Amino acid sequence: MKLKLSIFALMMMFFLVACNPDSSEVDTGDEESSGETAEDDELVIANGSDMVTFDIHDHNNTSTEAIHVNLFNYLVKADGNGGFVGDLAEEWENIDERTWKFQLREGVTFHNGEEFTADDVKFTLERVANDDTLLEHGNYNQIAEVNVINDYELEIITENPEPALLNRLSRLGSGMLPSDYIDEEGWDTFLEEPVGTGPYQFTEWVKDDRVVLEPYEDYFGEAPKWNKVTFRSIPEDSTRVSELLTGGVDIAANIPPEDWERIEGDDAVKLADSPSQRVMMLVLRTAENEVTGDPKVREAIDLAIDNEAIVENLYNGAATPTRTRVTPGNNGANEDLYGQSNYDPERAIELLEEAGYGDGLEISFDAPSGRYLKDRETAELIQAMLSEVGITVDLQFNEWSTFTDKYSSRSFGEMFMIAYGNSMFDAALALDRLTQAQNEGETDYINDEVEQLLTEAESNMNQEERVKQYQKAQELIAEDRPHIYLFQMDSVYGLQENVDFEPRLDEMFYVDDLSKN
Amino acid sequence: MRYFLSSILKVIPVLLMISFIVFFLVRLTGDPVSLMLPETATDQQREDLRQSLGLNDPIYIQYFTYMADVIQGDFGESFRYNQPAIDIVLERLPASFTLAISSMIIATIIAVPAGIYSAIKRNTFADLIITGSSVLGKAMPNFWLGIMLILILAVQFSIFPVSGSGTIAHLVLPSITLGTAIAAEMTRLIRSSMLEVLGSEYIRTARSKGLRETIVVNKHALRNALIPVVTIMALQTATLIGGTLITETVFSWPGMGQLLVQAVNARDMAVVQAATFIIAILVILSNLTADLTYRFLDPRIKYED
Repeated sequence: MKLKLSIFALMMMFFLVACNPDSSEVDTGDEESSGETAEDDELVIANGSDMVTFDIHDHNNTSTEAIHVNLFNYLVKADGNGGFVGDLAEEWENIDERTWKFQLREGVTFHNGEEFTADDVKFTLERVANDDTLLEHGNYNQIAEVNVINDYELEIITENPEPALLNRLSRLGSGMLPSDYIDEEGWDTFLEEPVGTGPYQFTEWVKDDRVVLEPYEDYFGEAPKWNKVTFRSIPEDSTRVSELLTGGVDIAANIPPEDWERIEGDDAVKLADSPSQRVMMLVLRTAENEVTGDPKVREAIDLAIDNEAIVENLYNGAATPTRTRVTPGNNGANEDLYGQSNYDPERAIELLEEAGYGDGLEISFDAPSGRYLKDRETAELIQAMLSEVGITVDLQFNEWSTFTDKYSSRSFGEMFMIAYGNSMFDAALALDRLTQAQNEGETDYINDEVEQLLTEAESNMNQEERVKQYQKAQELIAEDRPHIYLFQMDSVYGLQENVDFEPRLDEMFYVDDLSKN
Repeated sequence: MRYFLSSILKVIPVLLMISFIVFFLVRLTGDPVSLMLPETATDQQREDLRQSLGLNDPIYIQYFTYMADVIQGDFGESFRYNQPAIDIVLERLPASFTLAISSMIIATIIAVPAGIYSAIKRNTFADLIITGSSVLGKAMPNFWLGIMLILILAVQFSIFPVSGSGTIAHLVLPSITLGTAIAAEMTRLIRSSMLEVLGSEYIRTARSKGLRETIVVNKHALRNALIPVVTIMALQTATLIGGTLITETVFSWPGMGQLLVQAVNARDMAVVQAATFIIAILVILSNLTADLTYRFLDPRIKYED
């Protein structure tokens, strides 16, 4: 009896394994030990979350865009140094303050064979500019209209002078859509079978599992490199790392510091990191009736915090101290303030004495918990560092939606911590919130010179002058400290040893820039 | 038949209550807009989005609008996927069913022999090991067991793939993870049920007729012992679904469990509501099935009550 049942049980186990139609995926002992994934002409990338949609205008999810960039093309691409190179547009010029003229590349086809023309640009940009239910609408409603001159020429008219138009057109929401296909087949069909102009075309999307792409043979640029590209969604960090270690994936995104040792200890895999657009910072109230209204108190807070120590101890060095939010790679960056930290606890104590707080003072401090990597630990460390110089911090942790409620209603106390990204790669988005129109009830920051610089720069079509205005504004802000910038966070990837991949500041995966050897 | 109809009718108030509780609980957990827009969004952008999602109406109006739509089969749109929530949930059902069924198979493969054996060898060392293991099996958290199985059977020995779906090999580790707790419960049930049956009069009769022990155990005892087990196992559906939330997330299995976890994290209200609704219906249906099976297996139970 017992024997019969155990035999039956064993048979069932064998059956389960033997039924596997692709046995190479089960018994890949030999291959895996050499750290290779399935095939050399296939690429598997693991993200921490699933792609959300193929509606390029209705998401603001970086890891979704990192997949989309292989299917769709923008008109122009950022060159990484504040300039732009053509993609679907060959040439462009600024005709007047509100008019931009674009000359399109000829002979570009969508994956369904349809030709790409100026009508598609009009369709794409006017959709997001006019439909206020789309998540990206707020970043495109500066576009008033798109005028088609002929199949390959068009003009974009903006509501106001818009120096950052190219920044907008080289990011999320600007992938060009096939207007005829969508008109004929309907939007729902497009969402199920998306069609773009990119080097790869859509094969399948198993939600919460994988997105598979295959090469598009008639791509206008260099021939696609991979026979098959799979983006997997593996939400659990330790599972994602295990997949990397077993060779199940070539690249795993978002590796938390706890798992670095596992990867560094294995010769078949390696870590790669790159600065990201996210900067952790403190926001302070500067109105005169607040304790933090005294510039000396704000300076003391800044000098009391040892950014280097936070970066080393909490982030294992995968972050860079900074005194500005406009970091290198962004238009208008002030590199003199980047990589800088001014830790000086003795001077901080002196400043507090000068400000009349020799006996100590108390401030409130709000921080999110669980929103950013190590946010809780960072806030606790800051609390401890401030107490060293005699500042008692009443630290309050907030779950993210409570945090954003307080953020929207501007009801934080003297100080709060937040990490902003910058998908526009332009100083305007990073500094807007310090203009008097936007800072009321939050920092209440008033510095007429900064105000003038920011307002002028926002619509200044002279790029060189505009950059200088932003750089000067950053210097003044770093002295006034309505924001105390802490550090720029890195994004960390795990790779197979044979994979060449330079992580990008914008966190995109342009798969043809990757290679295996 | 009348019993069946009245059971179905009793389901309606239960579903109403569930919809009410879930609707308000989901809204208590916070504002979805805060998660849908980046930190850099302006107050105006937040307000516009809240308006377009209908989140500015008083909550009872939102509830009535929602229920009016639900009655017509419309569970709203997913914020995250911009698709009807119910379609997204139903799309995941097959994956979850596959996992649930294979876990049940694994649980049965482990529990039936183990339960019988420990009943026959009552109070021996083997019995102690089996009952001990079933306590352990019940006590081990799913996520821990899952991660351990990955580390040992996938990373160390490369026998099974770490995660994902697509082949039967992908199904093995999640099924073992999910099946273990159920196997533990089932083993204990079979053991006690077998012990009860083995001590009854007709078994003594069978034995005194000189039947071989295997026939006594297999034919006479096991069949009767399984009746309560089958019905009680049907009531385990809720445990099974609870287990899929964690197991599917650990193994990135694309089923309803993972969907629900992601939807809760993203405050994707429509999906959370639709998924809970479907789960509630599944649990109610399985309880009803358990009830009916019990009556079918044991005709002495009457239908009019």
